[in-house]
Amino acid sequence: MRLGKWQVWLQLLSLGISPVLAMTACSRQQQTGLDPQEVSAGEYAYEVHCEECHEQPHPDLLKQPPNLHGIFSRKTLPSGAPATDKQVRNTIIEGRGTMPAFDKRLGNEELDELVRYLHTLK
Amino acid sequence: MKFGLSLALALMLLGSSACSHRKTYPLQGQVIRTSPSSGEVMVDHGDIPGFMPAMTMAYKVKNAAVLQELQPGDKIAAEVVVSKDGNDYWLEDVRITDESRRGKVKPVESHMLMAGEKVPDVPLVNQDGQTIRLKDFSGKAVLVTFIYTRCPVPTFCPRLSSQFARIHNELKTTPDDYSKTQLLTISFDPKYDTPAVLRKYGLAYLEGDASGFSQWDFASTKEADMRRLAQAFGLDYQEQDNQISHTMNIALIAPDGTLVKSWSTEWTSDELLKTLRQAAHRSAKG
Repeated sequence: MRLGKWQVWLQLLSLGISPVLAMTACSRQQQTGLDPQEVSAGEYAYEVHCEECHEQPHPDLLKQPPNLHGIFSRKTLPSGAPATDKQVRNTIIEGRGTMPAFDKRLGNEELDELVRYLHTLK
Repeated sequence: MKFGLSLALALMLLGSSACSHRKTYPLQGQVIRTSPSSGEVMVDHGDIPGFMPAMTMAYKVKNAAVLQELQPGDKIAAEVVVSKDGNDYWLEDVRITDESRRGKVKPVESHMLMAGEKVPDVPLVNQDGQTIRLKDFSGKAVLVTFIYTRCPVPTFCPRLSSQFARIHNELKTTPDDYSKTQLLTISFDPKYDTPAVLRKYGLAYLEGDASGFSQWDFASTKEADMRRLAQAFGLDYQEQDNQISHTMNIALIAPDGTLVKSWSTEWTSDELLKTLRQAAHRSAKG
């Protein structure tokens, strides 16, 4: 009897071969090493979803994402749009330029916490 | 259930901590086809204890003379060799054990393509809502990759699209190459990546110049056809929690609609561009 796909993957895992390495991980949470119990929900969301691009942009990226420290201390965002909570929320949900949309990935409460945390980045 | 997984497997082996020295595993199976250009043989094999369950997949055969001897339908025995660093695997000591089924092998409906095989001609819908097919690009060398627009991992889809953007910009500087090549980015998230979403995404990577869509399409297709393409090009993807885990795959299709080469581990924009231009020039020579 031939094995199904996921049985194969389980077998590879049992051999110490990690198929997860071949895939983009859903588990950025695990990569950050942050304990969600020890940091604010906003900081956790920032580390999981934003930090990798906005603080250490990959050199291959066509457009280098802007650093987000101090974004609310100016009148406008790097895009030129007004630096308001509403605008930042829209950018996160819908994406902008080469920034992917985080639509359906962050709940309203998590978005609120994230925007609140962005205000603290100086 | 059979599926092609060889390139994904190569990636998996990169992470294997079990391979501290060269390992060999006995294989027994039937030759489905061979590809002299890529030096590979597609084998329908039984369980390989400690290495791989029964499946149909491609293996490199380093000795071209041995590869030449193999015919579809031949039953073979061989050793699967996994390199010391776990980064590579191939067949050695290949012996034909039974020639009686030579030429009587059943065609495999869906499998990972080897170089020289025709790619599936599935209908796609592009960023303008137009139905396109790979055969529409007949006469051009086509570089294909797979993404989903919401991919948040910078080293995956954003990197792939950024590299394609650089290749597109380079091709534009040589009109002869530009007219003989096509870039194609296919989303495996058709529910979210509608034509409008793909158009917005494409425009970002074309830096606002919609004329670039003539040589770079952003498209999606029905789930069933996407699965066919995924099998053909060795792509694996699965959705979980509004994210899609996936492998990275790039394929170069010749002007005659056959696979030239595919990449799933290491590549550079320069290498992709060079190989694409070579394929386009071969087209020009007929």
